[in-house]
Amino acid sequence: MELYSYKQDKFFIVKVSGRMDAITAPEFEKSCLGWIEQGDSALVVDLEGLEYMSSAGLRSILIVGKKLKSVGGSLSFSSLTPNVAHVFSISSFGSMFPVYDSLEKALGNS
Amino acid sequence: MKNRGLAFKLILFTLSGTMAVFLSAFAYFYVSSKDSMTKCVEENARNLTHSTVHQIEKVLEGVQKVPLNYASLLSARNFEAGDIAGLVERMVSTNLEIYGAAIAFEPDALAAGAYYFAPYCYRKDDGHLMNVMLGDESYHYFTMDWYQIPRELNRAAWTEPYYDEGGGNMIMATFSVPFYKGKDAEKRFQGVVTADIALHGLQQIVSAIRLYRSGYAFLISRNGVFITHPDSRLVMTNSIFSIAEEKNSSLLRRIGKDMINGGEGLAALESGLLLPDKCRLYYAPLSSIGWSLGVVIPEHELLEGVHRLGRMVILIGLAGVFLMTIIVMLIARRITRPLKDLSAATVEIARGDLDAKLPDIQRGDEIGALARSFEEMRLALKDYIKHLTETTSAKERIESELKIARNIQMSFLPRAFPPLTGKNPMEISARLEPAREIGGDLYDYSLIDDDHLFFAVGDVSDKGIPAALFMAVTKTLLKGIAETGLDPARILNRCNLELCGENDSMMFVTVFCGVLDLRTGRLKYSNAGHEPPVIVRRDAQPEFLPVPEGFLLGVEEESSYQTMEIELEPGDKLIVYTDGVTEAVNAAGEFYSHANLMATVRSCWSLSVEGIATEILGSVKLFSLGIPQADDITVLALSFAGAEV
Repeated sequence: MELYSYKQDKFFIVKVSGRMDAITAPEFEKSCLGWIEQGDSALVVDLEGLEYMSSAGLRSILIVGKKLKSVGGSLSFSSLTPNVAHVFSISSFGSMFPVYDSLEKALGNS
Repeated sequence: MKNRGLAFKLILFTLSGTMAVFLSAFAYFYVSSKDSMTKCVEENARNLTHSTVHQIEKVLEGVQKVPLNYASLLSARNFEAGDIAGLVERMVSTNLEIYGAAIAFEPDALAAGAYYFAPYCYRKDDGHLMNVMLGDESYHYFTMDWYQIPRELNRAAWTEPYYDEGGGNMIMATFSVPFYKGKDAEKRFQGVVTADIALHGLQQIVSAIRLYRSGYAFLISRNGVFITHPDSRLVMTNSIFSIAEEKNSSLLRRIGKDMINGGEGLAALESGLLLPDKCRLYYAPLSSIGWSLGVVIPEHELLEGVHRLGRMVILIGLAGVFLMTIIVMLIARRITRPLKDLSAATVEIARGDLDAKLPDIQRGDEIGALARSFEEMRLALKDYIKHLTETTSAKERIESELKIARNIQMSFLPRAFPPLTGKNPMEISARLEPAREIGGDLYDYSLIDDDHLFFAVGDVSDKGIPAALFMAVTKTLLKGIAETGLDPARILNRCNLELCGENDSMMFVTVFCGVLDLRTGRLKYSNAGHEPPVIVRRDAQPEFLPVPEGFLLGVEEESSYQTMEIELEPGDKLIVYTDGVTEAVNAAGEFYSHANLMATVRSCWSLSVEGIATEILGSVKLFSLGIPQADDITVLALSFAGAEV
């Protein structure tokens, strides 16, 4: 898994690629919590390059989401690959978090 | 050399160093003492030669004085013929060194008519004097050397040594002094006064010279003939030149020439010339008589003292080296013994006996330091091993506890469906394969009442002990809530509320659960974020069962769940599974996927429920052969037979 992040306007954009599983998810979780600590509360996670997400990945998203909720921030996702979209749909993550087709839409609608 | 012991190396290096120093010191000692000894001996030889020469010269001078005096007497005064014999006898009787004497006149010089006039007196063996008159037809003395040489040279002269057969039968030499009548231009030769000297006296003086064991002295005449020599056969018969000729030695010839020319010097001679061994020759002239004295010193005897001293020094040196060897050996042993002890003790330690007693070495040097380090290492190792043992036993304890936990976990999953009385409207079977000892998947089925079957499959968001605990709680909650007879959505709602309390770790569980009416085949079901099951209707292709949307359990208290319903016909089958099936990975990194699952179901749907569960599990395991199982795998298969069966 690789993380690439940058700030754009009020958004903090995190691009995730590779696999998010029990081994890599803690890194995603730790990095995001770090950014939230620094004051970035509008996270847009772009999953264009993410091939796979396990339940451990879902769990780290939940932890990040809970943290953001406590600081009044927002968490949205964009550009889901079919695999990840399936996982999101089965686990109803789509009803929990805003999901967009593209990063532009996510930035425009948030 | 590499494998030799420390003691051996120590001895070798110390001794070779010592030996080198000793040998070079000895070589210097030998050469310098040889030089000084040689110089000293040469000095002695020179002194000896000079003193001997002086001694002989004194004898010769004593002899020469007498005829010189008589000659001047005869020149100064006129004597009667009758007085001459008395003069001659007095010369001999008053001078013991003189063996014989004569006064020989020219023909008719003393008295007319006396052609020969030469009274001669000599000492017989018994000491008595014997007077004879020399000169007759057979002994024409005017031609003899002793007469002719002084006459011709007009001065006193010594004859060559000769063997006198007439008188004393011995080797002698004669000193002859001419006397004259008148003065200056008027001077006329009248005759000679002679004195004979027996050479055995000189021979005794010379042969008394002894140098070392085989050194000796010799005298040679003006012609190089031996006058004295320890080998009496050479005397008067051989000369230094004949020996030089015989041995073909140009050096000896040159020395001989120098000797008869009155030279003085020192020469080193090869072996076999004057002595069987190498020798040194010192020579000096007897100038009054023209002879030469030689002193021969054998070289090896000359250096005998040096050699003896050298042997002594070598002996002392060897004794020193021997002593040193012993001392070095003792030191080496003192060093190596504790090392050997230490080595033996460390072998024990290496074998694992960490209580092995190290030798008690109370020393302040490097060996003591080594021993202390070893002791520290032993204690550290012992500590480490103790710690390791504790850790290992703790790990073993955890492992055995995990095994027990697995047994417990497996034991509260239903294993076989309780047989139904009379009729058997459905069959159900499930398989669960945890990725580790214990896992987070769960399944359950049980009869709520005679006509209703509750079943569920769940997947906790993690593996291992936390997941197992969460799974146990979930399963207990589900079963407890289901037994109150609620419909599936209400069951999930209640369960979600229970799980949400204080769930900071955001652990969650996805659940599919259903309640089947065994009489009618009506299936009510609900879903909380779980994979949709596969339904296989009789005479139709298998397909995924449409499931209501519902968020996973344990995270969101406001989540709500819906119940959906379908009618199962006799022969319909339902297969519920966890994502451990579809997300199993093969060696190429590919997922087992829903497509593979469908294909497997199509190939095995006609089997019994046990057969279907086993077949799917086998297919997944075959797919990910050689890859460690990443997630728990659960398959539950249910078959509805219908109430009328």
